[in-house]
Amino acid sequence: MRIGIVCPYAWDIPGGVSAHVHDLAIALDRLGHEVSVLAPAEDDAALPSFVQSTGKPRAIRYNGSVARLSFGPRTAHRVSKWIEEGQFDVLHVHEPLAPSLSVLACWSAKGPIVATWHSSMDRSRVLLSLVKLARTAMEKVSARIAVSDAALTTLREHVGGDALVIPNGVDIGSFNNAKPLDGWPGEGKSLVFLGRVDEPRKGLEVLIKAFPAIRDRHPDLRLLIAGPGDPSHLIASLRTQDAAGVTHLGMIADSDKASVLASGTLYIAPNTGGESFGIVLLEAMATGTPVVASNLEAFARVLRDGHAGMLFNNGDSDSLSAAVIRLLDDPDQRQRLITAGHARAAQFDWEIVANQIIEVYQSVRVEGTVVEPDLTGQMLGRLSRLRITPEREEIE
Amino acid sequence: MSSHPWLIVSTCAVLVWYLSTQAGRLDRLHHRIDVAQAALDTHLVRRAGIVAELASTEAFDLVTCVILAQSAHDALAAGDLVDVDRLQAESDLTEVLGAAFDESVDLEADNKVQDSLIAELSQICGRVVMSHKFHTDAVADCLKIRQQLLVRALFLAGRAPMPYVLDFQDDLPHAFAK
Repeated sequence: MRIGIVCPYAWDIPGGVSAHVHDLAIALDRLGHEVSVLAPAEDDAALPSFVQSTGKPRAIRYNGSVARLSFGPRTAHRVSKWIEEGQFDVLHVHEPLAPSLSVLACWSAKGPIVATWHSSMDRSRVLLSLVKLARTAMEKVSARIAVSDAALTTLREHVGGDALVIPNGVDIGSFNNAKPLDGWPGEGKSLVFLGRVDEPRKGLEVLIKAFPAIRDRHPDLRLLIAGPGDPSHLIASLRTQDAAGVTHLGMIADSDKASVLASGTLYIAPNTGGESFGIVLLEAMATGTPVVASNLEAFARVLRDGHAGMLFNNGDSDSLSAAVIRLLDDPDQRQRLITAGHARAAQFDWEIVANQIIEVYQSVRVEGTVVEPDLTGQMLGRLSRLRITPEREEIE
Repeated sequence: MSSHPWLIVSTCAVLVWYLSTQAGRLDRLHHRIDVAQAALDTHLVRRAGIVAELASTEAFDLVTCVILAQSAHDALAAGDLVDVDRLQAESDLTEVLGAAFDESVDLEADNKVQDSLIAELSQICGRVVMSHKFHTDAVADCLKIRQQLLVRALFLAGRAPMPYVLDFQDDLPHAFAK
């Protein structure tokens, strides 16, 4: 199949949606499909061959924040040209919020269109007021996908209608063979925490409070913290001998993530809320590190209610320390979780997820037809339509 | 009123713009329904084709094979997807498939031909479920606009017939849902 994918966010600035599009494009290519990605980019020179740039996004200031958007006649022209030249069997737009490249692509195309919803839309009031605009584009979309139940809820609330839930994929291969950092996990075993240190909902405080009780039982246990922010005030609340067991790496590169996850005897996810999926849990499981996580709905689902990892009561440090001590004392149970975790993570391998998405493509496309440019959907097209409409009304 | 000709003109302009937008939306929605229906039809025809082929490989006992072949033939022989007979035939085929591939069935077949046919059938049944759902979504979106008073009064949809959902059973056989 020839597939055109539209990513509304700048390709060369790290982000969830562009990472998803990147991994999907690679997986589709590996499965033998032809993929072309249309995305804004800060620097056109560094783009991979399958990415077509619409140029630099413009920074627009509203609501006190700066949004980087692609619009204007030049962009519109590039979008239609890309669609015309692409001869795609299916057009796949991501995060079709107004005013984005994805909405522009919907307006300019006719034929099988698939749209994927990634996150909540309620971040900006301005975007919300433009949802009506997006709605006219959504009406052309044949199939809707949401990456999580939270994304599905947002879609239902703001646009209406239904969607299939197909989760994010994980590049299992690159995590399966991860080597731990030098000297980790070590004889005395270790715990790993990954995430923003200064974001309370990531729950580092819950873990720090549980640490002394675990150290009482396992005095040589170490804690590896990786993520931006300064944890010194949290570490300062520990007894001196416990504080000595804590290592803070700061922000780590994406390429080091697998090694950090592999460096723990256990991976701890003490998040207290705000998680819609929990991809890092799957990544930890893929490296072979058993997971202990708070019993958020999303985590419980990823860990199959405790079959693929251990759950503790959200926000409860005593419950966390009890769970960690139980696992550290029981190598058989750890081994069981490693095996179950591997199997669980494999279900989210990009190849499997991409195959599910391909099935959606297959169910909307019609053999022998391609996605065509739709001039009537564009602004100029609208103006020309305006002139002929009164005549049409007379006839009817 | 005559002292405000601009008021009349601008009201008319806004009205015309609004109506043209609505007409454009309807046009797009009808197009989407057409595409969805064509896709669904393709998948249903292929499903019946695979079932007929599978029946001819004697994948099941003779009675099951005869019933499968007959149901597949009925579905292929019936008319367009909008005909009641066709929808009934597709429902019947779904039911027969559900009975043939119930949860007790082990999908590992004895030979390669059957193996690949069953894998293909499982895939196509999933596509039927999805494209049926997408068609229903499209019809629902379209009806929302077509039921608006202004749209009906001014015949903005033109001669396009009122779309409706294609009511037939598409349940995935248990053996495929595992």
